[in-house]
Amino acid sequence: MLEVAGLCSFYGRAQILRDIALDCAAGEVLVLLGRNGAGKSTTLKSLIGLVRPQAGSIRFAGAEIAGAEPHRIARLGLGYVPEERRIFTTLTVAENLDIGRQPPRPGIRPWTPARLYEVFPNLGAMPARIGGRMSGGEQQMLAIARTLMGNPRLILLDEPSEGLAPLIVEQMAGAIAALKREGVGVVLAEQNLYFALGLADRAVVIEKGAVVWQGSAAALAHDEATRQRFLAVGAAS
Amino acid sequence: MDALAVSLLTGLADAASLFLVASGLTVIFGVTRVVNFAHGSLYLLGAYIGWSLLTRLPHSPLGFLLGALATIIALAVIGMALEMALLRRVYRVPELFQLLATFGVVLMVQDIAQYFWGAEDLTLPRPPWLRAFVLIGNQRFPRFDLVIIILFPLVFGVLWLLFRRTRWGRLVRAATEDREMVAALGVDQRRLFTSVFALGAGLAGLGGVLALPDASANLQMDLSSVTDAFVVVVVGGLGSLPGAALASLLIGLLQSFGIMLIPRATLALVFVVMAVVLILRPNGLLGRPISGSGGGTPALVRPAPMALRAAGGAALCAALLAPFYLGDYALAIATEMLIAMLFAASLHFMMGPGGMASFGHAAWFGIGAYASAFAAHLLAAPMPLGLALAPLAAGVLAVAFGAFVVRLSGVYLAMLTLAFAEIAWAIAFQWVDLTGGDNGILGVWPAPWAAGPRGFYWLALGVTVGGTLALRHLLATPFGYSLRGARDSRLRAEAIGIPAARIQLAAFTLAGAAAGLAGGLYAYAKGSVFPTYISLGHSVDALLMVLLGGVATMSGPILGALAYTGLYDLLLAATSLWRLVLGAAIIVLVLAFPEGIAGAILRLWTRLRPA
Ligand SMILES: Nc1ncnc2c1ncn2[C@@H]1O[C@H](COP(=O)(O)OP(=O)(O)O)[C@@H](O)[C@H]1O
Ligand SMILES: [Mg+2]
Repeated sequence: MLEVAGLCSFYGRAQILRDIALDCAAGEVLVLLGRNGAGKSTTLKSLIGLVRPQAGSIRFAGAEIAGAEPHRIARLGLGYVPEERRIFTTLTVAENLDIGRQPPRPGIRPWTPARLYEVFPNLGAMPARIGGRMSGGEQQMLAIARTLMGNPRLILLDEPSEGLAPLIVEQMAGAIAALKREGVGVVLAEQNLYFALGLADRAVVIEKGAVVWQGSAAALAHDEATRQRFLAVGAAS
Repeated sequence: MDALAVSLLTGLADAASLFLVASGLTVIFGVTRVVNFAHGSLYLLGAYIGWSLLTRLPHSPLGFLLGALATIIALAVIGMALEMALLRRVYRVPELFQLLATFGVVLMVQDIAQYFWGAEDLTLPRPPWLRAFVLIGNQRFPRFDLVIIILFPLVFGVLWLLFRRTRWGRLVRAATEDREMVAALGVDQRRLFTSVFALGAGLAGLGGVLALPDASANLQMDLSSVTDAFVVVVVGGLGSLPGAALASLLIGLLQSFGIMLIPRATLALVFVVMAVVLILRPNGLLGRPISGSGGGTPALVRPAPMALRAAGGAALCAALLAPFYLGDYALAIATEMLIAMLFAASLHFMMGPGGMASFGHAAWFGIGAYASAFAAHLLAAPMPLGLALAPLAAGVLAVAFGAFVVRLSGVYLAMLTLAFAEIAWAIAFQWVDLTGGDNGILGVWPAPWAAGPRGFYWLALGVTVGGTLALRHLLATPFGYSLRGARDSRLRAEAIGIPAARIQLAAFTLAGAAAGLAGGLYAYAKGSVFPTYISLGHSVDALLMVLLGGVATMSGPILGALAYTGLYDLLLAATSLWRLVLGAAIIVLVLAFPEGIAGAILRLWTRLRPA
């Protein structure tokens, strides 16, 4: 559903991404691994159009979207949940959800606030809460739920487990697994290897803006040398 | 007691009028982050278009209602067209250039309005229902003003519902916080921006029509209304609708009671309030810190390339010899250009390397001019002493006032400087015993050796070149580097031990003193001093010169001053529609060269030069 080839992006004159290639199918979870500053967030921003790629092709749902405006890309069914969550802090939970709303999309069971409150019961308990008064975990859930209101075919998640308590991380993992079952594609940028490998089908490791390893999540779980070299993390369970 | 009640009602009516204009401005700013000087022009167009409609419709309440509605719609359409034709193209340029572009619109609309409606003030015929009064005790209060008062909560309520209860309103509020995220969620910002602009313009149009029964449609109402509206918006907090309502109330009431209590300080009062609010609450009463406005900070000031130095040297030689080949009239114009250069260079010093844009730089120019005039009149001081007092007076006041200014940044900082300039202007205008008010101070004559056009030209050349080079030199010292460090990241600068606030204060003071020097020179050049030296228009002139030239290079303000004064004089002589042409030229320049004239030359230069 998503096929990326030769993607290059810059901040000013500094080249951040070099020839990134990756792909993700419906109902698949692809994890993008890499150290802090490797270029994971920039990759996701290039996909949604917040960073305009200088070269490369991004095909999504049959259309070429490289260089298109973010709202057009989002309208095609690509959802994006930023690392900083970027909740609208002066809007309530229900209002935040409404901002993400898009018309139903063929082949996707439409998301409604009621359905999302089932997946994220914490949100269901506080529809009138102002975004700025929520905990980090609640904001993360709201950010994902808000993007789901657009009925995405594929969702880009930037470090959803970052800074969250273990219990919340578990809930998050449950939600992602549920998305996968719905047939939604997930591209997950992560530094938390345990969280990522537990969910992912495949993994792409990037270092200094270039892909240095790719393969199945199971293969990475057994490839201690690669993990040591690019992720500086010890054995995974 | 009745007088108090009438004052209260008058204040409420003022507040309502303020709110109509300010609410549109604040909503537009909140979403688009554009400081829209042209908002006053929309108000002006509302008044004129309203006048044209209302004089043709039956002079009945129903006719008025229809005319007002039609005006709102006309202005909404105009606002939409303005957004799509111009503002849409400038969202990505740095915010000061947006300001410049909207000021181009102000100039154009002034001429368009004058072309269609003439220079005379236009008043409405006043049928009995418009002239009617209600009696409060034995005091009379215009009935029409009651309508305006009722409109205040009505319009606020409608806007409130619009923003709370509709999806469009939620989108606007969300975009006010984080427009990029709104786009990433699939919302087309362009349509949102256009519709917000239409709403704001419609409100300004309503404000304009409603100004007709009590006042008139006139060509000055654009800048006066936009200044008032900016004050309200800044006091309330940029982008906050309840803030605008609260600030309108505060200022409206203050004005009407102020007239009763201290009639001679009414003009300054509003700006004093604004200054106090900004000092106590740097983001306004109900505002929040602004994030992600405009595009990019200006680049460094680079050392002049050899070729530019050679060109500068040649220009200096030509300037030195000018009295031998220019006539008296041309020399007088050249003298004014030189003074404009120093004025522009002083603003550039705080704006470019210092990162502090000012909407009120004319304050320092005017203070310098008045200092020289007082020296000449009250102390009978000779010209050198008068000239020395100009930068001194401006510098001393700048250091005192700057202590508050450097605590702010961005638009708020610029507005605080505007507040100060308006206070200074109000003092010059209202303190007639000291300043002569509107008549100014005449007979500020230069010393005999500088009395002829040649002598004064050389004096101006020496002072301007000396002052500009001194500023330029400072930028190459450790002070200059610290200043740029403080501009680029205050926190980082402070982390490595640069006292950012003190450095910025020093730059502010130096800029004020240099502008004061320019003002002193100007006083002697003209032989007279007027409050208009401190006017908003004069501050905007300085901004235009710096921005036209380009913020990023030191030659920018010089070229900008030349281009601006040159263009101005040329146009003034060539066409009666000079504002139209100048405004259009400014807009074209912003769209074509967002880095200014000097920046464009530099770019061309680096491109043409073989690598
Ligand atoms: N707005 C920006 N401007 C300039 N450089 C940036 C910006 N954002 C990130 N970078 C740089 O781009 C590189 C990649 O950053 P990022 O994509 O955020 O990495 P990751 O998400 O993998 O931690 C880093 O070196 C970072 O410093
Ligand atoms: Mg990141």
